[in-house]
Amino acid sequence: MLITRRSLLHSGLKVGVATAAVAALPRPLLAQLGRTLEPLPPIEDPRLKALTARALEAARSAGASYADVRLTHERVRVFSVSTRVDDSESMLAGVRALVDGYWGFASSPVWSPDEMARLAREAVHQAKTNTLGKPRAVDLAPTPVVAEGHWEMPLAIDPFETSPFEISDFLDSLIVYLNRTPNAKINSDSCTAVVQERAFASTLGSYCTQRCYRTAGAFSFERELEHGQRGSTYLDCLTAAGMGWELYTAERIPRVRDHTLYEEIDRALEELKQDLLLPVKAVEVGRYQAVFDPVTVAGILDETIGRATELDRALGYEANAGGTSYLNDPIAMLGSYQAGAPTLTVTAERSEAGAVGTVKWDDEGVAPDAFPLVKNGVLADFQTTRESARWLEAAYTKHGIPMRSHGCAAAPSAVFAPLQHTPNLTLAPGHDARDFDSLVSGIVRGIAVKSGSVDLDFQHSSGLGSGRLYEVKQGKRVARLAGGFLFRATDLWKSLQALGGEGGLRRYGLSAMKGEPAQEHYHSVTAPAAVVKDLTIIDPLRKA
Amino acid sequence: MRARTTSGGSALDRRAEPRRLLAAEERILTKDTCEAIARRVFALARGGGETFVQIGSWTRGELRWARNRVSLASDRRDVEIGIRRFIPSAGEGDVTTNQFDDESLEAAVRAAERMAASAHAPVRPTPGLPPQPVGTWPKTAIWSDSTYTMSADTRGEIARSLIDPAEAKGYLSAGYIEMHAGTSMRVSSERPAGPYAVVDVPYVQWTQAQCSMTVRDQQGAGSGWAGLSSYDWQSIDPASLGARALQKCEASRSPVVLEPGRYTVILEPQAVADLMRVIVGSMRRIDAESGGGPWALAMDDALRIGDSPVWRTKLGLKVIDERITIDHDPADPRLGILPEPWMEPVTFFDKGVLTNLFYARDYALASLSRNAPRRGMWGYRMSGGTTSVDEMIASTQRGLLVTRFSDIRELDAGTLLSTGLTRDGLWLVEHGKISKAVKNLRFTESPLFMLNSIEQLGVPVPVFRPVRDAYEQQIPLTPAIVPPLKARDFSFTSTIDAI
Repeated sequence: MLITRRSLLHSGLKVGVATAAVAALPRPLLAQLGRTLEPLPPIEDPRLKALTARALEAARSAGASYADVRLTHERVRVFSVSTRVDDSESMLAGVRALVDGYWGFASSPVWSPDEMARLAREAVHQAKTNTLGKPRAVDLAPTPVVAEGHWEMPLAIDPFETSPFEISDFLDSLIVYLNRTPNAKINSDSCTAVVQERAFASTLGSYCTQRCYRTAGAFSFERELEHGQRGSTYLDCLTAAGMGWELYTAERIPRVRDHTLYEEIDRALEELKQDLLLPVKAVEVGRYQAVFDPVTVAGILDETIGRATELDRALGYEANAGGTSYLNDPIAMLGSYQAGAPTLTVTAERSEAGAVGTVKWDDEGVAPDAFPLVKNGVLADFQTTRESARWLEAAYTKHGIPMRSHGCAAAPSAVFAPLQHTPNLTLAPGHDARDFDSLVSGIVRGIAVKSGSVDLDFQHSSGLGSGRLYEVKQGKRVARLAGGFLFRATDLWKSLQALGGEGGLRRYGLSAMKGEPAQEHYHSVTAPAAVVKDLTIIDPLRKA
Repeated sequence: MRARTTSGGSALDRRAEPRRLLAAEERILTKDTCEAIARRVFALARGGGETFVQIGSWTRGELRWARNRVSLASDRRDVEIGIRRFIPSAGEGDVTTNQFDDESLEAAVRAAERMAASAHAPVRPTPGLPPQPVGTWPKTAIWSDSTYTMSADTRGEIARSLIDPAEAKGYLSAGYIEMHAGTSMRVSSERPAGPYAVVDVPYVQWTQAQCSMTVRDQQGAGSGWAGLSSYDWQSIDPASLGARALQKCEASRSPVVLEPGRYTVILEPQAVADLMRVIVGSMRRIDAESGGGPWALAMDDALRIGDSPVWRTKLGLKVIDERITIDHDPADPRLGILPEPWMEPVTFFDKGVLTNLFYARDYALASLSRNAPRRGMWGYRMSGGTTSVDEMIASTQRGLLVTRFSDIRELDAGTLLSTGLTRDGLWLVEHGKISKAVKNLRFTESPLFMLNSIEQLGVPVPVFRPVRDAYEQQIPLTPAIVPPLKARDFSFTSTIDAI
């Protein structure tokens, strides 16, 4: 019998269950929880605990002083160009073991008691081969035992319980809507939904499971006006979020968008039109007062404060990969280093609802806390794990800060060893209720930057920015500029003059690469619009 | 030692192939296992049409160190089975799983069929193509036992031997050693006639090794790097890499600030390959013919496809220094080329003349009366000369010696003008000698300008170019064999703080 879209839709209309069945992924992956293979149960099934216990026992008896084990079951569904749906599914297991200050790790795609034991022995073996070297000390920061925990990221619409027809029809409707505007054309259009179930157990006695979601989309398009002016833009309200299908269908999402997606398309089309009607000018190289929109601020914040306050990076643990940090003496700098103007306060957390880096427990079984990275312009703390928190003990004692991991251990899946990754970041807004446009209206002569992105050097200090640049005169954007900007991280934040208010905060899901082997990790950055003085504007295409 | 082989049945009989998980001793999938998986998937298909399976597996042994101590040693492996069902009256659907027991495969096939049914319209990849000539795959050895058998103990020993000299001098070293081995296979149920059969490739085993090291002084005032990747671990000499990274760190300490401007540059091979990556991504013929990129010459009024004008390209014109030939040879194992449906040697630049741009088979059939694609510069060799870096230095009045570039970004597709940073060792050369270490600079330059400003060329060598380097996503990374070179008037536009 041939299955057709029509027959599936038909049955889906008649019986709700059938729609869910259509959506169902190849669920019967098998795990060997006892003697035989059986369909993979949901992550909260208590028998999985026995599987993880097998790994911990084996690691202990092989000589590990500490071990943890992670199981991940991930499903990914990608809708692209409105015609195709790609599904992928993976189950992975990883065991990490600590022997005399050296870490070993082993991972594979098999969930079985024998494999748990093998991975544990292999992880211990990997660690032991390096204990032949000079002594190394690891003193894990204390953390409360999570005796038995289960958490599910709250979401309104589970994309995997929603018919893929419904989703692709909705995505189509966005294009149909766009096409009502003459000479508007879609450039890229996709939606990715991910659900990852995770189990974690450690020799500390912790056992916890969680189900986390990530949904993200791309919707970019171009438009041509009557007189041939052409340009392109995208919806920046679809970056990765710790949400479900409601990322698309919700009327509004606090800190993400205040309007429906259709209205967002209208707004973006109108903004593009206004842009294209502005004249294009060559830049006059120099220093200007500048207004950044929230997405630009979020990108700069992430690449400067976000990367530089990774403690392992600051101490040289990433020197052979992504690089180091301009915060090169963490113990001395914590509590005294002037990272920016007194109005700069940046907090980190992994608990905000809807943020993409949100979890209940990190990949070391630690419940993350909210902590300041920069407080009133002064460097207040670093991103840490159980191992790295201890490196700051002297500074924590001096400043009366409790010594604990901030819960920043993470990895894309259990095939990767946990690494410190950036948590969700929030730049505290200003007190006045101002947004990008009202900040621009206060500029007599300067620059405005929208949809900016920045490249930082390998110490996250010197940056080159690009984006949509505008000349601002008497509070109005009067021309588009073919330019870019140069900055130093600390100078830029010290030159901060004003921040947009609470109502103008916007949250974006970003990802960053780190480690060898490289891992990609997602986190959210929430920021308002901002005004800085003395921003160096250049013509990026000009050679020396 | 090849991966263990198991006895496999040849029939399509489902019962002959028992349900199984990845066995503990099976670090990568054998040919028999892969073929059995493919047969199972084909047998499970319902509703007619074509089934296309991609099967991959990998194992990695890794060691990472920083601050002179190993921070992680790991052994990892995974499997990926991609199943595409193409049902002519419906559409096509893709499902990927990392499990290959019977139930998982069946569920994946059913899911792919549901996806096919949910597709908006029947799609068929380029209907009516003549059969593609069967590819002849060169028997290139991209498998190295020395890579596959490199143990955790060996990696630990090597790391200690690299750490000790750096630590003895009071420096901080960080580095990474990796063995990577895997298998891949792509096969269609309708081989050789089905639409997907044209992208079939046979089962192949491959290896890749890499070793790299960064040495920094305690104050962060100097940094040196060296690294190499190859399919064959034996062709990597960790001791010499370690010595080079250490020497570069020592020599790069306390750099002086140099004014941005135009300088004669002596680029070590790694720096040349870093910059050449921008060119690799620009070599698509269809882009040139639609007026994009650096290889479009002028609009040709006589040529139109539909409403679209066709541009004349620079094919056949001398575009770079006539000492430069850049080619691709799938039989050169140093390029680590995995089998593709169609493989052949290609010369992209012949003594400075642009001779080939890459294209797909569809394009070849439509525009060139040729029934095969042409491969791009993924894996290339660049010709050189005989001048050593030392001789380049000795013959330079004033210039800069560059170890490597980082964070390269293309600014202008038409000229390939790009920007990026120097990293891990930059020196001023004056009167034939290295005179002082220089603070890192941002450049704004086109690799095409560099290839037209060459003064001297050295002997081409393989460089650090692991096939998958996640840090450089914007521009495809590709194994390369390139010479060091000296070029005039290279444009540096600002100083940067990072060391």
